[in-house]
Amino acid sequence: MTEQIDKALAREYEAGFVSAVESETFEPGLDEDVIRRISEVKGEPEWMLEWRLKAFRVWQEMEEPDWAHLSYPKIDLQSVSYYSAPKSMKDKPKSLDEVDPELLRTYEKLGIPLVEQQMLAGIAVDAVFDSVSVVTTFREKLEEAGVIFCPISEAVHKYPDLIKKYIGSVVPTKDNYFAALNCAVFTDGSFVYIPKGTRCPMELSTYFRINEQNTGQFERTLIIADEGSYVSYLEGCTAPQRDENQLHAAVVELVAMDNAEIKYSTVQNWYPGDEEGKGGIYNFVTKRGVCHTNAKISWTQVETGSAVTWKYPSCVLKGDNSVGEFYSVALTRGRQQADTGTKMIHIGKNTKSTIISKGISAGKSNNSYRGLVRMNPGAEGARNFTQCDSLLIGDQCGAHTFPYVESRNPSAIVEHEATTSKVSDDQLFLCRQRGVDPEKAVSMIVNGFCKEVFKELPMEFAVEAGKLLEISLEGSVG
Amino acid sequence: MSEWLQQAIARADSIQDGFEDQRASSLALLKDIQWPTRKTEAWKYTPLRAVERSTAIFKEESPELEPVAVEGLEFLELTFVDGQLVSLPEELPEGLTIEMQESSLFATIKPERHVFGLVNDVLAADVAVVTVAEGVAIEQLLRINNLLSNGAQGHIRVVVDIKAGASLKVVENAEGQGASLTTAYTEYQIGAEANLEHYRFALQAGDNVAIGGSHFKLLEKASLNSSIIGFGSNLQRIDTDIIHAGEKADAKLNAIYLLDGTELFDLHANVEHAVPNCTTEENVRGIAGDSSRAVFNGRIHIHRDAQKTLAELNNRNLLMSNKAEINTKPELEIYADDVRCAHGATIAEIDRKALYYLQTRGVSRSQAQLMLSFGFINELIDQMPTAELAEWVRPIIRDRFAQMEVK
Amino acid sequence: MSNENTLLSIKDLHASVEEKNILKGLNLDIKPGEVHAIMGPNGAGKSTTGYVLSGRDGYEVDSGSVTLDGKDLLEMEVEERACAGLFLAFQYPVEIPGVSNLEFLKVAVDAQRQARGEEALTSAEFLKMAKEACKQVNLPVSFLKRGVNEGFSGGEKKRNEIMQMILLKPKLCILDETDSGLDIDAMQVVANGVNSQRDSERSFIVVTHYQRLLDYIKPDFVHVLADGKIVKSGDASLAKELEEQGYSWLQTEPTEDELED
Repeated sequence: MTEQIDKALAREYEAGFVSAVESETFEPGLDEDVIRRISEVKGEPEWMLEWRLKAFRVWQEMEEPDWAHLSYPKIDLQSVSYYSAPKSMKDKPKSLDEVDPELLRTYEKLGIPLVEQQMLAGIAVDAVFDSVSVVTTFREKLEEAGVIFCPISEAVHKYPDLIKKYIGSVVPTKDNYFAALNCAVFTDGSFVYIPKGTRCPMELSTYFRINEQNTGQFERTLIIADEGSYVSYLEGCTAPQRDENQLHAAVVELVAMDNAEIKYSTVQNWYPGDEEGKGGIYNFVTKRGVCHTNAKISWTQVETGSAVTWKYPSCVLKGDNSVGEFYSVALTRGRQQADTGTKMIHIGKNTKSTIISKGISAGKSNNSYRGLVRMNPGAEGARNFTQCDSLLIGDQCGAHTFPYVESRNPSAIVEHEATTSKVSDDQLFLCRQRGVDPEKAVSMIVNGFCKEVFKELPMEFAVEAGKLLEISLEGSVG
Repeated sequence: MSEWLQQAIARADSIQDGFEDQRASSLALLKDIQWPTRKTEAWKYTPLRAVERSTAIFKEESPELEPVAVEGLEFLELTFVDGQLVSLPEELPEGLTIEMQESSLFATIKPERHVFGLVNDVLAADVAVVTVAEGVAIEQLLRINNLLSNGAQGHIRVVVDIKAGASLKVVENAEGQGASLTTAYTEYQIGAEANLEHYRFALQAGDNVAIGGSHFKLLEKASLNSSIIGFGSNLQRIDTDIIHAGEKADAKLNAIYLLDGTELFDLHANVEHAVPNCTTEENVRGIAGDSSRAVFNGRIHIHRDAQKTLAELNNRNLLMSNKAEINTKPELEIYADDVRCAHGATIAEIDRKALYYLQTRGVSRSQAQLMLSFGFINELIDQMPTAELAEWVRPIIRDRFAQMEVK
Repeated sequence: MSNENTLLSIKDLHASVEEKNILKGLNLDIKPGEVHAIMGPNGAGKSTTGYVLSGRDGYEVDSGSVTLDGKDLLEMEVEERACAGLFLAFQYPVEIPGVSNLEFLKVAVDAQRQARGEEALTSAEFLKMAKEACKQVNLPVSFLKRGVNEGFSGGEKKRNEIMQMILLKPKLCILDETDSGLDIDAMQVVANGVNSQRDSERSFIVVTHYQRLLDYIKPDFVHVLADGKIVKSGDASLAKELEEQGYSWLQTEPTEDELED
């Protein structure tokens, strides 16, 4: 049966094409000069450059972390190019008509039409291509509601006060090695501001695409939901199929003010490398949100891509009665490695957090959940519930659980459970006996395993995620 | 490197005896090792200040100390005082031998790179080797006493070899007075179809520093039933490793920790499933009161070949005070698919509904709290196979609760 | 015996499990609309028959032939056999957490309709059918939303099996000890469900250790399976005979292979 499932899992990476776009790309290498040049290309104000340089100096003192259950050769950061942008973007196209059609075609091929007539209704998209934002749709409509949704490089100019106040406020520069690196070299990403009492009229979404060879993508996203506001934000990403590893080190900061709610969903489908582990994206991401009084942040992620994933979307539950949620499906196959999970830091009274993590390991992959739940002394009446389930497909993979639970408040309650299971021969046989082909049966069983997480995704993404898993399990069982 | 470790190494350099080869390699490892800090994963929550600041010395002469009596039980006593073996049982039942000799099992069952395990390798003056001959069942309990006088430093090591089809019951008993420091390691090989009933009591609260481990290797169809009960102290750290090296072996571990004052207790339980068809069941319960700190790390590692493993770990904690803290980390590392593994961990306070229920029946709040906490722990004590030991330890735990209540 | 009018034809079937011979020359012909009971002591090969016919992994056919509607059954994959009209009601139905009954059944019905070249049902049509099927076996409609067999009692699992049978409309149903673990009331519900599906086209193999189920599902033929082959065949009265005499008279020596159950 294992053999059948393996076959089911062998899939094509559909987003693996390269776009023929002429780009301006920095020579590989990292020093202060490169950072100055990035800042210059972006036409940044002096304070932004200073912030970057400060981060760079902090980073130089830091060491690459090695505590994750991952093994990969040391990344040579001097061989990475830190900036690449399509030449056509140099003149900053004013409208879609001026955007290079090849760029638009790229996104269309990925199922993200950017042309107004074809756009998905109800979703505004910021399309980031290598180091620049190509286009942000529905901006006028959002502006009517007072919502700001634009590339972060633009926000630095237009909304310097907001950026100065919040950038690095959730993930400090010195937080970790990769976050510090990102602070120094970040190129683009999305900025969102939802005004007080506003329910964002549409879903916001950023689609990240790496195209150029030997480049890293270092994007930065900052979302501020002011008092009593609500926003649902989606993030997707893909990259071409290449034999070399490429680095992606992003930082995402969320600020949910009193009574605000942010729902952040990710479908991560970076190129995972081939069956033998050749190529693929190294995905080192720091995501964190801070919740003020009565606020709520909900992270949902479906991680199917990347050769290496190192990612712990977290919530700092600072305000009383605030709520943090983390719903995750991580599927690894081939030689993929994922070390992902969350941190829930309970500071305020009656704060609540829920963690549901579903890890699916197949092939020769390794899939780890790593999480921290901390109840600070002031977290009176706080609650956490954590459920980590692993599904192993085949006997060559690994599934691991590393939860840290720390409590310093006697009235706080923490519950953690973890289980492991496999797709059993009996389940498969029952499905087949009822006429369901094995491939469909495996994907149905896996989908059932992930159901609790999928129901948290916005509709459009739930469909995409389900399909992604199905594709992942395609060609399988014969 | 800490000064304490440097002194330990210096002392080791001066010791000569029959274990030279093994000790030499341990010494080499030790000289190379990093002194643990907060960033060392295995010591993340357990600072070693108490060791670094310890004034405990190797005494030339030690007072005579007697281990505590247990009503209804006559033990075969193997007693160490301040690290020196002072008494062996006068008469041993047939099939049981205790010798001070070389054992090929020495330092093969405990983890290779544990800094205090290595210290013990090189500093344990008398290594006792207990052997139970094939097929022999020893009914009488063997008790290994690690007694320390005030201010003394001592390191003890016992190797237990239970041959195929044999059975043995062992109690590891530590009693440290005042500001003593000890490391105490025991390595057990449980042969094919052999079984071991094991207890480790670390009930000496106070200023002492006690670090040690009980490490078990189970061969085919071997069985282990282990109970660990610990109070905290200045620093109390126990490592236990259960290694399933033969198929169809079965291990059960019940552990309890009860902390008060500013005590620190750290239990690291590691289970290695290296072969198929073995089972492990672990129940760990702890209570932390006052300003104490409890640390539990429960790792289950299922190797690639260990199909059909059944392994479960359950860790439940009660936090009794605003100043106390509990840190728990149950870990699963799984490389085989056809296994049933689960772990659960909870930290909570006493069930308020139960508390209320008792109060409505006229029980005072503090009494009700005591009853419920005791019940929480007693569930595991009830499972101890030797009833006399359960009878003996129950009032000690009751007293402990009563003390915790006063504060 | 076999002719164009035969639905299932088993000829000299030998099969083994983990290299142990379980079926040792099984012969059986079933015409459309017939109900055949297979009885016999534990270890005779009763459940194995169902697994071999449905193509379960690990159940190796050593020799012999089986045709369903004239087609070689043994050449088909498990799901192809199901689509060809073979349904096995399991003795111990497995649980599939997270996959709802409804979703599971829809996928199965779709697959089978597709195999027969029929159009897929709309969700509304299907839901209506499924609700009716639930009613027929006294399962609350809410069971459709629960995970497949997840947390069901023994009786509920069995009724769920019959409900699936009603929805999938197979040509040949094999009921594997469907009565085991059921009290009389629960058994009646199951039997009524089965009886409602009897018609001139649909055939049944009722595998059972006890005669009592056959009081409710009246067989046309009763076969006694012992040591891997049919040692005696008769009409419904044979079941009564067995009830009185037990199986011991059949066995020249006790079977050692308690592979089943």
